Amino acid sequence: MYIVKRLLTMLVTIWVIASLTFLIMKIIPGDPFASDADVLPEEVLENVRAKYNLDEPIPVQYLMYMRDLATFDLGISIQSETRDVNGIIADGAPASALLGTQALVIALVFGLLLGIIAALNHNKFLDYLSMFIAIIGISIPSFILAPLLIKYFAVDWGLLPVASWGTWEHSILPSFALAATPLAVIARFMRSSMLEVMNQNYIKTADAKGLPVTKLVISHGIRNAILPVVSFIGPLFVFLITGTFVIEKIFAIPGIGRYFVDSIFNRDYPVIMGTTIFFSSILVVTLFLIDLSYRFIDPRIKLTSGGE
Amino acid sequence: MKKWVKGVVPAVVIGSVLAGCSGGDDSGGGSTENIDQEIVVNAMSEPPDLNPALATDTTSGWILDHVFEGLYTKDEEGNPVLGAASEVEQSEDGTTYTFTIREDATWSDGTPVTAQDFEYAWKNVLNPDTGSSFAFYMYYIKGAEAYNKGEGSVEDVGVTAEDDRTFVVELDAPLGYFDELLTMWTFYPVKQETAKENANWAGEADTYVSNGPFTLETWSHDSEVIIEKNEEYWDQEVVTLDKITYEMVNDATTYYQMFKTDELDLIQTVPTDVIDQERDSEEYMETPYFGTYMYMYNVEEEPFTNEKVRRAFTMAVDRELLTENVTKAGETPAYAFVPEGAETPSGDFRETGGDYFEENNDEAKALLEEGMEEEGWDELPEVELLYNTSENHKKVAETVQEMYSQNLGVDIKLSNQEWNTYLDTTKQGNFQMARMGWIGVLVDPVVILDYYLGDSPNNRTNWVNEEYDQLIADAKVEQDPEARYELLHEAESVLMEDLPFNPIYHYTNTYMTSQDFENIVYPVNRYPYLKWAEKTAE
Repeated sequence: MYIVKRLLTMLVTIWVIASLTFLIMKIIPGDPFASDADVLPEEVLENVRAKYNLDEPIPVQYLMYMRDLATFDLGISIQSETRDVNGIIADGAPASALLGTQALVIALVFGLLLGIIAALNHNKFLDYLSMFIAIIGISIPSFILAPLLIKYFAVDWGLLPVASWGTWEHSILPSFALAATPLAVIARFMRSSMLEVMNQNYIKTADAKGLPVTKLVISHGIRNAILPVVSFIGPLFVFLITGTFVIEKIFAIPGIGRYFVDSIFNRDYPVIMGTTIFFSSILVVTLFLIDLSYRFIDPRIKLTSGGE
Repeated sequence: MKKWVKGVVPAVVIGSVLAGCSGGDDSGGGSTENIDQEIVVNAMSEPPDLNPALATDTTSGWILDHVFEGLYTKDEEGNPVLGAASEVEQSEDGTTYTFTIREDATWSDGTPVTAQDFEYAWKNVLNPDTGSSFAFYMYYIKGAEAYNKGEGSVEDVGVTAEDDRTFVVELDAPLGYFDELLTMWTFYPVKQETAKENANWAGEADTYVSNGPFTLETWSHDSEVIIEKNEEYWDQEVVTLDKITYEMVNDATTYYQMFKTDELDLIQTVPTDVIDQERDSEEYMETPYFGTYMYMYNVEEEPFTNEKVRRAFTMAVDRELLTENVTKAGETPAYAFVPEGAETPSGDFRETGGDYFEENNDEAKALLEEGMEEEGWDELPEVELLYNTSENHKKVAETVQEMYSQNLGVDIKLSNQEWNTYLDTTKQGNFQMARMGWIGVLVDPVVILDYYLGDSPNNRTNWVNEEYDQLIADAKVEQDPEARYELLHEAESVLMEDLPFNPIYHYTNTYMTSQDFENIVYPVNRYPYLKWAEKTAE
């Protein structure tokens, strides 16, 4: 019952997001066919508008869009007339997803490690070192870090290619550049969470009972400390795998990150809608999966709807 | 209706033989047999459309020009020469052209290019359902405009395939530069059979059929386009390159670094911050680009209602200082509207036309006072300079703001808007002074001057001058080139007398090209043409 209710809520959420986006998109000034080379006769513009149903009144456009959306047809891009939006997402999503997943793994492995090391060495050198690294990760924006990585690893030392996409080597630098900030955030999160847990009475009890330190840290400390981090990973994961404008632009990665931004600048209505719906669907589904996963991570949580 | 008379595209051919200068393995003796004939260039972004009927931008055009060939094509000097046609006959009244399609003109799938393919392609462009933005380039053809605007029928369009190899085009009136026009991608043929079978044939490399020096091999969206030598091309002996890869690297620092690490062989629009250090390099070059960067004045908004005030604001900008220290890419200071590059019988149009004003701060101040007196203003109405959001436009605007403060004693405000919003705002005339750039699709003064016609949708200044409109209309029907350019010079002087705009500079393109390559052609209004390019060193 809970799952059915959640699925219905998810559909409604996506519908609300799609409708709001449609409305806002029509409110922003500008025209997808405007350019500095404003030489099109009005009759030609009418032909082009008709091709995208833009000659219809807005409520009709909305209904037509929703009808197509129900059949998962996201329409044709105005900017690239030979490509449909489904195709653009299908072409771009794998690269973005691969990059995001690699970045998430890097961020999780190193972030958790740094956080745990810092917490276990509270107020000692390793704590300060870990947090120093974390602060650098948070305070250097990716558009600075990425060119720095390129300069050293690709240009000066010639270890990796500068940019573009194709081989696994191409994905290393952008993955690290993308991972830096979440890595730092995870490290700080994990540190404070871990510190709190390690000061709990049950840890002290277990310690007093003579439980080995590794077992104490792993099955009592980390298991409890990781819960707040898990709730934070969901949205983070979605943001990482749906592409990032800056990293994809700097490293010339054929992902979908740039479409989120460029489509708005170009007033490419079908792409604005398509990317928004794609993003919100993944976010909604991921949040749902995270909720389900709590049940396994933390048996104290039971999935019930309302006050049952 | 627009008419343009033939303008020759002057092109810069770089043929420097500098094998071995770029370091690395040197092949030595000038033999190119063992060198992989491949070049990697930067398209900067995904080409929006590789369908000749729909493409409207220079990135798509860059690839299309390499994979297709029209009835006319360009030679190494940029002059139109017969391409897919082997012969052409013009009727006595100059309105009917009969083309004979080359016997060996072949599609990349091995089938012959036919007159019917041309007829189909052109009529498809004009078909209102196609929604082609560039259809108006065909309006010189009889019945074309009516059909495209939904008022006439396809049968009345003056384009006929009489047999497989005879293609007849009827025009409304003779057109001096018809050959130049036909080199545009809108006029390329499309294989009828392919296009009818699959409306989206141009969307993927697998279904792509073309007839030019190269063929589309791979199109990885947002990543790269690879074109390879077309073995079916009739003139394939002149083509040396086996493979051209277009990368899509948008970030200037990144593509510059890729050039430095040999991941790219040719880049355009070199980042401004490295131009100083690269200026003396053999690899660096600047070529004029057929366009003008300017500030439009809204002649219905105070204070630019007054001609003297407009002139004062135009004279008080130090263009040399601006181009040398701010924009830095070798731009030419602009003292007129039409850039250099348009060849006329008596020389370059810009050189024969000369400058229309001089910068002079004292005179500008005097003019400003006179203007204010004429209007009865004790104080100059506040001026706001509007530009579209971009680092470079901001730098230029801030410099101009400072120049007005120092040279004219006027403090202006700056304001910026995102591009599409900006276009809307300026179209509605909600500005006093606003930035704009204009680049000629074809290299002819009239393409530039059309911008300020009274009924031009581009003219956002509210400036309408009947004399100007008349001179340009006269020039369009004038068949004698000398007289025609004379009319255009007169029109430009009318424009520069009234000054509804403030010309800042004429654009340039900056390139860095690996010295391993020869015979690359750099046209003034297109990206480099690689048909004859050859790799001579590794």
